[in-house]
Amino acid sequence: MLNSSIDHLKDPEPILIANKVTKHYGERIGCEDVSFSLWPGEVLGIVGESGSGKSTLLRCLAGIDRPTSGEILFRHNDKPISLFDIPEPTRRKLMRTEWGIVHQNPRDGLRMDVSAGGNVGERLMDRGDRHYGKIRASALDWLTRVEISEDRIDDRPRQFSGGMQQRLQIARVLVPEPRLVFMDEPTGGLDVSVQARLLDLLRVLVRDLGIAAVIVTHDLAVARLLTDRLMVMKGGYVVEEGLTDQVLDDPHHAYTQLLTSAVLAA
Amino acid sequence: MTTMLKAEGLTKQFVLHNQNSVTLPVFAEVSFSVDQGEAVILHGQSGVGKSTLLRILYGNYRPTKGHVHVRHGDAFIDIVTATPRRVLEARRKSIGFVSQFLRVIPRVKAIDIVKDPMLARGVADDEATRRASDMLARLNLPERLWNLAPSTFSGGEQQRVNIARSFVDPSPILLLDEPTASLDAANRDVVVDLIAEARQNGSAIIGIFHDEAVRDRVATRRLDLTAYKAAA
Repeated sequence: MLNSSIDHLKDPEPILIANKVTKHYGERIGCEDVSFSLWPGEVLGIVGESGSGKSTLLRCLAGIDRPTSGEILFRHNDKPISLFDIPEPTRRKLMRTEWGIVHQNPRDGLRMDVSAGGNVGERLMDRGDRHYGKIRASALDWLTRVEISEDRIDDRPRQFSGGMQQRLQIARVLVPEPRLVFMDEPTGGLDVSVQARLLDLLRVLVRDLGIAAVIVTHDLAVARLLTDRLMVMKGGYVVEEGLTDQVLDDPHHAYTQLLTSAVLAA
Repeated sequence: MTTMLKAEGLTKQFVLHNQNSVTLPVFAEVSFSVDQGEAVILHGQSGVGKSTLLRILYGNYRPTKGHVHVRHGDAFIDIVTATPRRVLEARRKSIGFVSQFLRVIPRVKAIDIVKDPMLARGVADDEATRRASDMLARLNLPERLWNLAPSTFSGGEQQRVNIARSFVDPSPILLLDEPTASLDAANRDVVVDLIAEARQNGSAIIGIFHDEAVRDRVATRRLDLTAYKAAA
């Protein structure tokens, strides 16, 4: 007899829970009533056009902007803590140590006057590492992983190309081994060839480190390559969600159908 | 016999919201089950919904109505109602989809593409490498290509990488969408053998094959979708 009982498959606890997250700017809706759970090792994509509320939502989730209503729960030391009910310094410490944010513009995530090695090593010192030799070795290891050559370790980011700056930012975010990473258009504004390198790098890092990630993008090809699940936003609302390949290949909502049919096949 | 997959009352219609909300009915109330060691070939004219059905079984398309119970270990997962993470887990361990097209990931080497599903299932790296190499050799892919990314390969070479990936450690349930299309005779024979071996090792197979000769060699049973054609 068939029964769909899957009781023997025990779920771990979600690392992040969004519960009716709403953000208004005066009368204007940023995002409205967004709820989801994210599990360790899972990559969630948020797609939609400019003004759809995806970046607003990301800023709330990442603890940068306080939502107008709703709550965001982050699992810390095996307990869910409500992100905006804890003191500001505690939240800032969590942001530095437990999660990371990859900004669309690398200049927002890097310290432009500090060397590449310093940009990466600084995050290890935030975490409490003090041994200079070890910090430098670890920084070097990460620069290699993002394909920045050893002889550039003492250069400042402003001497780097846009693609190198973005790879450096990714190293800076991932070096403390965060459990959760937020990315806002991580490949926006880069050449296609650089994008491909970066996408493959992200894909491998997320898989090998088992981190959970939320990626905001308007590029459906990026979403298909990097994400497991997708939320489609329009006018601040989530209009469709599901497995990434399901949403892209069999879209049900009028807006998702419009988005997927508007893509030019390369 | 052990039931591996059971489809219940599957109905599908597409609604095209941006084209005057036209509704395209495909099929209605399709029910069947497939046991271990069976190879069920979907039958019917073009447009009858063979590929659509196969994609629903994999969870790639969502049916308008109905359920797909997929054996996952000693339980069943309903692919239609399960959470995305459950569906992904079923795909990792229990159900695979093979088409003639390889989804090329930038910069990933052919051999790593073939190893990937084995590594995801916990096979050791050196064993995965050995088995991947054997499979690529069996499918006559020149060894000089193994360490290159397939984006520059010919269509047939990409297709063989895809088949190697799917048959190197076959899933208990295999969904095949024309895997032999456009292969030469020698490689087609290899694929027919691979399908037979997977079946003998207990995989349940559901497939679409246009080549009559291949179909006759692979099938243990036919499922004609014509009877389920929904009225337009």
